[in-house]
Parts: sequence; C-alpha cells; structure tokens
Amino acid sequence: MTNQHPQKKHTSNKKDELKALCFIIFILFPALSITFVSIYGFIIWMIQAFGGVVAH
Amino acid sequence: MRWLLNIWRTLNKPTQYLTLGSVSVSAFIMGIIFWGGFNTALQATNTEEFCISCHSMESMPYKELQETVHWSNHSGVRATCPDCHVPHDWSRKIGRKIEASHDMWGWLLQTVNTPEKFEDKRLEMASREWKRFDRDNSLACKNCHNYDSMKWDSMSKLAQKQMKRAAKLDQSCVDCHKGIAHKLPDMGTARAPELIAEVGSGVNGLEVDQTYFSALTKPVYFNEKTDVEAGTLNIATKVKVLALKGNRAKIGISGWRKKIGAGRVIYYDFGLNILSAQLTKDAALEEGVISTFEEKEDPMTGLKWQRVETVIWTDTDYLLNDLQPLWDYARSTYSTSCSVCHTQPDESHFDANTWPGMFQGMIAFVNMDQDTQALVQKYLQEHSSTFNKSAH
Repeated sequence: MTNQHPQKKHTSNKKDELKALCFIIFILFPALSITFVSIYGFIIWMIQAFGGVVAH
Repeated sequence: MRWLLNIWRTLNKPTQYLTLGSVSVSAFIMGIIFWGGFNTALQATNTEEFCISCHSMESMPYKELQETVHWSNHSGVRATCPDCHVPHDWSRKIGRKIEASHDMWGWLLQTVNTPEKFEDKRLEMASREWKRFDRDNSLACKNCHNYDSMKWDSMSKLAQKQMKRAAKLDQSCVDCHKGIAHKLPDMGTARAPELIAEVGSGVNGLEVDQTYFSALTKPVYFNEKTDVEAGTLNIATKVKVLALKGNRAKIGISGWRKKIGAGRVIYYDFGLNILSAQLTKDAALEEGVISTFEEKEDPMTGLKWQRVETVIWTDTDYLLNDLQPLWDYARSTYSTSCSVCHTQPDESHFDANTWPGMFQGMIAFVNMDQDTQALVQKYLQEHSSTFNKSAH
C-alpha cells in the first residue's frame, strides 16, 4: 500500500470511489460553499463598516 | 490522514466503476438539496420567531414594538423584525447576517439581559441602527413606504410641505422619524449623544506628553482640584497632556491670540478665526497660564497677533487620540443637515474666516446642538480654501 513504485498503480475499488464522491458532495463542497458565502458576507460587512454603501 | 490521501488519489483520476452520468446526476441533485437547504436556513433565521428566541430581544424591543403602529393599525399590515432590520437585497442580507455574529457576543456576555442594562446601552444601539438606516437611505422603510405612492391630499398642509421636500431629495426616513417602532433613547441628559456614540467618550488612561483632541467643548480649570472654571476648551482642539492628577489633566494648548483687551481667546493659527479656547479674563491674566512668544501684524485687519502657549487643567474625559472620527461625523452631519434646504457649498468654497458668518447665517434653519454646531463650523474652517489649496 505504501509502496510508491511508479509501475505499481494504485487502484481504487468501487467502495473508494463512492466514499470519495460522498465526501465531496456531502462534506467538502457544502463546507466550501458556506465558507465562501460567509467570507463574501464578511467582506460586505467590512466594506460597509469602512466605506459606506455597497452597490446592489 | 491516510483516508484523506486515499480520497485524493481516487479523485485524481477518472472513475473506474462509477459512470460519468451517475457522478454528475448525484452532484446535481445534491447541489439542489444543498442550495434549497441553505435558503431554508437563511429564511428560518429571518423570522420574528428566530429573533425573539433571545430573551433580550423578546423582553424589550419586541414588547415596545407592540405599542406602535408598526404592530397593529387599521390596514392590518404589520412589520416584523427582519422587515426593518435585515436588508432585503441578497448581498446585503448576507453581509448583515455575518455582521449579526457580533450580537452573539452580546448574548454570550449578557450585555443587555436586564432592562437596566438595556436602557444604558439603548442610545448606543439606537445610534448604530440609525447609522445603518442612513447608510442605505432608509431602504428598509422604503420597501413598504414609497414616496411615489404617498397620497398628498390626505396629509396636513405642514406634512405635505415637509414630505414633498423629503421626496424630492429622496431623503432617508429616519432623518426625521426616529423612535417610531421602539422607544426613543433619552437624549436630553447627554450632550451631543449621537456624536459621542460615534466617537466615544475619550481615551481611558491618558499618557503624559501625548497629544489628544477634545471630543466636546470642555470646561477648563485653574488647577487639579478647584471647580472654578477658567474658560472653555473648544471642540476638536489639539492639546498636549503635560501632567495627570486624579481625573484632571494639565494640558498645553498652542495657538495665537489677538493682542487686544486681555487676549483671552486662543485661536488655531495666526490670522485665523478658528477657536481653540476661550479663557475667562481672570485666567488670561493669571501668572503662568499664558506664555507669550513672537508677534505678527495681520495685514488684512491691522491687528497685532501674538503666538501663545496656554497651560491649564481640564477633566480627563472626552479626549480622543485621533481627530479623524470627529471630522467624519462633522462631514456627514454637514452634508445631511445642510442639504435639507439646498445643495450645501463645498467645504473649500469659502476661506476659514468667511465660514463662521456663512454657517451662523444658516444654522437657525437646522436642529443642531451646541457641540455639533461648534464641531461642524470648525470642520468647515479647517477644510476651507485656506487649507485646501486645490479648489478655488
């Protein structure tokens, strides 16, 4: 498993792929989306706090 | 960490078992579910039930609302908390939601959990809310109350006159209509409450040899103990703290005075009628208060001016580190108050000695307390053509 020899390809089975897919769509992307929206909101807050009105 | 590495390896190459179709369909469906859930959560946190789930919201602001026309009226339409306090536009709404994380601190630290604590902070909180309304020109009100839909005929003559003028300028509603949905803060006891809410009541722990700026027109005293006033220190004046004793500070004020009478008025600079301090006659003649330096004659008036250093005592409150917040407040007050009647002239339209006359001539038409008046006048003078050479 830990052998990183280039010829010996790391193969994933169906379980691995399903796991990866679930990780992405249930955890990673929702978390990223919420983070980005929060950052966006924070930026707007800061702009308004220091620079006045934000355009629509 | 291994499972993460495994996932990365799997994600990094084409799928061998899952089809492209199943991957995209599942991602698409999950996207819909997520965004739907996100919006549901956004909406759930935008309901009155959510707002008043905090005791301090339910016990004070919500109860107060119930006594106003925004709670019950003959049209049967009522405003809920988010109607006025959360912007309706998406971007600003998200911004406001994140901003509201600040309220969580208030909840955690129990800032306003009793009516007494709430009352103490009412002015500060109200000022913040007014600022927010000002910021988007009372958009929250205008979502329901539209100038274009107002029926002028059913208004009194006076109301018509005021409202039509406001409509023409698309004025912010809270400029006039404050305290309509919650109790108005007690503004009678404090001086220039909105100004102080904006700039704070001064630095805690002044330091000797540092310079500060007065946030209000402050009384000055002969020494650290007496209550006998020796005059007043004008607002937004630069002072240097020379010594500290209890709640009094010995301050130095540099400036110029006219060499007439007792010379008890200290001005900002040679030949400029910008007030820094006005001493009583006794104080001006007192040994050690005013030290005099070089003299110059003002060619405009033929008056002799003299550079002076004044040393006097004042209370340690209302001294700020920075002048800019005062100017910011003055600028916004000037532009909102003066534009009520007409387009206000640029700050640099007049010079420092012309502004007082112009300003005093107009001040009768607006409602401004003494401290704010003095501040705005000084703001205009120090941003006049005398200092800003780029214009006129």
